Amino acid sequence: MLRASSEAVNTEVNIDRLEAGAQIDNGNLLVRYAESAVRGDSDLVRVREELRAAVGTAGLVEAAATVSAFEGLNRLADATGIQLDAGLADESADFRAALGLDAYSGATSTQSQGTPNRAPDVMGIFR
Amino acid sequence: MTMTNDGTAVEQIEALQTGHAQIWGRLGQCGTWWSGSDRVDAIAEGRQALCCDLCRVRSEALSPMMVLGQHDAVSNLPDSAVDLIHRLTTDPGRLSKDWASQIINVITEEAYVELVTVICIQYVIDSFNRCLGLPLRELPLAGGGTPNRIRPEGVGDVGAWVSQGLDKSLANVSRAASLVPETETLWRELVQMHYSRGPEFADLVWNRALSRPQVELLASTVSSLNECFY
Repeated sequence: MLRASSEAVNTEVNIDRLEAGAQIDNGNLLVRYAESAVRGDSDLVRVREELRAAVGTAGLVEAAATVSAFEGLNRLADATGIQLDAGLADESADFRAALGLDAYSGATSTQSQGTPNRAPDVMGIFR
Repeated sequence: MTMTNDGTAVEQIEALQTGHAQIWGRLGQCGTWWSGSDRVDAIAEGRQALCCDLCRVRSEALSPMMVLGQHDAVSNLPDSAVDLIHRLTTDPGRLSKDWASQIINVITEEAYVELVTVICIQYVIDSFNRCLGLPLRELPLAGGGTPNRIRPEGVGDVGAWVSQGLDKSLANVSRAASLVPETETLWRELVQMHYSRGPEFADLVWNRALSRPQVELLASTVSSLNECFY
């Protein structure tokens, strides 16, 4: 979704450099906020205020809503052992191995590795 | 968190807090496989997991199964349920099918999915408050009643660890909790208000306070930290 949504606004995203912000606006700060929140780091208060200064309070609330949503989505996916949707397997086939995602424990739940192919739209990714 | 005069942000956070309050209250009601008091106990157990010594040691071990011991439990839930709640909370990226099967053999797959869903909802709401420096909610009041233990129609093996809805019109993650439709409803409402927001999900360009690439960067980062393959 990161790559597809970036392409939709003609932004070049570097998914190999996720930890550095992937060349997204305020990407480095967003990544630091997510890291601090997920790990419960002691610098969360400071990073939160930096993020608020950069993207506004509404942006900060949006970030908190997203981080917390994926904390839950990740857990639901991992605990139920769902497979990648066929479209998602195809969409991610060209970068999963390079990013080390195939080494994650949850990878064993998915039987098809997919064939590198781009979906025409969002719903095609989850077909 | 100190709110500013940013009207959009105030409206946004109030809408989320109102939605959370409604879902939180319903989370304490009697479920299909667990009573209201069981579900409230599970929420308390989910919070306790964050300060459990066994969970801390296991999360630092090469394999969580190398470390034996007892969780620092605060409830009278069955040991299998406590282990499910603690591991789901503190080490979700290293759950395994064998481990899940052992839990399911004791508590049934329907009870497993309901408990997972309750904990995921609790985790999202608590995480949101922690992200913004807000106090955690008081535990919900436990509702009365007896679980009816009715398994829904139209579920079966679709290749996951647990039975799910057979209708593939939904993404696999969107039907992950379809074995317990009443609790799943709460989950879906929560994800809608936090992230997908109805038909907007299908649009690659969002008119929100953060752009969609910014939102997806956050999502990717969290998923990477949690080592979530999906």
